[in-house]
Amino acid sequence: MLNTQKTEPQVKTAKAFKEAYEFKWFHLIIYFILLVGAFMSIMPFFYMVSTSLMTLGETINRQFLPKIPQWQNYAEAWTEAAFSRYFLNTVIITSLTIIGLLCTSILAAYAFANIQFPGRESLFMILLATMMIPGTVTFIPNFLMIRGEIIPWGSWMNTLQALTIPFIAKAFAIFLLRQFFKGIPKELWDAAQIDGAGHLRFLMAVVIPMSRPVILTVTLFTFVDAWNEFIWPLLVTTTSTWRPLGVGLWSFVTEAGPQTHWLMAGSVIVILPVLLVYFITQKYFTEGIATSGLKG
Amino acid sequence: MAVLSSSSPPKSKAKAVSSRKVREWFTGYLFILPAFLVIGIFGLFPIAYAVYMSLFRWRVRKGSFIGFDNYQQLLGNPWGALVFLGGLLLILLAHWLWTDAFKVNKSFRIGRLLGAIVLIAAGVFMSLGWTTMLTEGSRDTNDFLNALVRTVFYAFGSIPLQIVFSLLLASLLYQKIRGQELFRMIFFLPYVMPVVATSVVFRSIFSQREESIANQVITALGLPAQRWLFESKPILQVMLGERLTQFNSWLSQIGVSWQLEGLWLGPSLALIVLIFFGIWTYSGYNVVIFLAGLGNIPKQLYEAAEIDGANGVQKFWNITVPLLSPVTFYLTVLGFIGALQAFTQLYVMRQPFARDSIDTASVLIFDTFYKSNNFSLAATQSIVLFVLILAVTLLQNRILGRRVFDA
Repeated sequence: MLNTQKTEPQVKTAKAFKEAYEFKWFHLIIYFILLVGAFMSIMPFFYMVSTSLMTLGETINRQFLPKIPQWQNYAEAWTEAAFSRYFLNTVIITSLTIIGLLCTSILAAYAFANIQFPGRESLFMILLATMMIPGTVTFIPNFLMIRGEIIPWGSWMNTLQALTIPFIAKAFAIFLLRQFFKGIPKELWDAAQIDGAGHLRFLMAVVIPMSRPVILTVTLFTFVDAWNEFIWPLLVTTTSTWRPLGVGLWSFVTEAGPQTHWLMAGSVIVILPVLLVYFITQKYFTEGIATSGLKG
Repeated sequence: MAVLSSSSPPKSKAKAVSSRKVREWFTGYLFILPAFLVIGIFGLFPIAYAVYMSLFRWRVRKGSFIGFDNYQQLLGNPWGALVFLGGLLLILLAHWLWTDAFKVNKSFRIGRLLGAIVLIAAGVFMSLGWTTMLTEGSRDTNDFLNALVRTVFYAFGSIPLQIVFSLLLASLLYQKIRGQELFRMIFFLPYVMPVVATSVVFRSIFSQREESIANQVITALGLPAQRWLFESKPILQVMLGERLTQFNSWLSQIGVSWQLEGLWLGPSLALIVLIFFGIWTYSGYNVVIFLAGLGNIPKQLYEAAEIDGANGVQKFWNITVPLLSPVTFYLTVLGFIGALQAFTQLYVMRQPFARDSIDTASVLIFDTFYKSNNFSLAATQSIVLFVLILAVTLLQNRILGRRVFDA
């Protein structure tokens, strides 16, 4: 203390030096914690990929990395688990769900944003309230419905419509789209009306092209949800005809038993498409979640 | 004539407007119809139908009408259930007494005193109701109530840690860190991945085999290998081992009739692994939302605090935490709803050796439905769970929601 008070410039440089030093040191801690977090997030994936390339012996003998990557594990898992069919099923189910959901949700969201009709606000509130309904309550009656025991439309077990139709409208998607549509200037609608356009034309020609980012976000969320769906397909597919990838992986788990390398290869196969889509479009994911999450 | 001609044009105009209005209404209803049909049939109607199912004997096929027998079978003594629910509501009353009731005449002390008394009463009511249900109930009651306890363990084990970790990571990421985007992408990764696949990976990491990653890590730390997902013993019993019986005999020696046993030993080690999985999966989601919330805090607040000489920790506790409280609240509610419904990861990681130690409410409902084929009991369980979710959300809204800082 006494020493530093003697000469002013010295104090200043010492202080500046100290601050700079502390600053860097502080950042080092931050990076350390962040890296630990990142390591924890990634480690299971690393383990999965590494194990998927091992021989059966290596999976038992406490190895962290395979000596020679066994790429044929993927081919073996693919055929053992009959993934060809499941993969195609999942692609079809996911695409149909996305298309259906976009059709119903864009229409509904547009109506809630730009069309005046009695009961609009209360209907919207009901819609928001349905987000609170847990799937645990609805799956039992829905299962009976799919078997045609409530509405006499015949049994939908093991059909494509059972796996898609219940998912082609979601309150959350409508909410997200409506928030965006509301931001579109009213003047555009007025101008379109003068040109003699109706709601549908205006929606197709102006609103949808302007809303590409939010539509992409909704598409991505739907993609992930449909790809990851598990309990419902487990219930309504008793044969492999329309069984999706997730249920296929689960039945592979119960059959393959201790063949860890195959199981991990199977998991990689299920994860990879989602991973690729996520890497390419991650900005839309995180930003979509951030904005929707906060306003929700 | 002059009067007539001047008054008729507006009339027809008004008529034209109203017919246009009707057409507008019609378009609106037409646009929302497809979405409402799907959500109505597969989202709203099933609730009513589940209530309907719960009033029948219904094993695969619909049987006879039995009124509230399913509820009786599930909850043991309905009065016990009511007393328990009353206890939950008393917490609300206690909270009101504590904070608001005596605000007008500023006699906070009376409020606090009464609040504390009511809170104790709430505890008494809840435990009384709980034990009444347990002692007078059937095996189904026992299964269901135990499943609810496991669900609470799961929720309270995973959510607070999730919030703490993600708040820490988000506020560190927000320090204008290089590679912020990359970190955010990595943290978010577990949330997007298919739960079935990540659960299969965790199944392998936390297997009871000696060479599993979890056992390699724990033996490297000098601790004995564990059975992880295969372990049905509660965590405290696993950790204390022999010392637990010593502790209990010591307790009875000094004349304490209470023993460290049952629920006090906590969830099973298998459920702890699932809690860990929950934290691993959902923290990244919370980080992303916290980051967005941090972005909404005005920079000037921090600058003003810096001028007043606040350090990093002070800024964090006095600005960041209170201003983020709405986000924290939102994430807590979301976390609870998610935890009460968690299914896939529990189902996939369930090992026969863990017995029923990881069967939370949703897993039990699935089993009652899928394995025991008791459709009406499963529907009853799901409705009771739904009511509980609503009650908890209401409690959170009233108590936590009030503490939220509104800017």
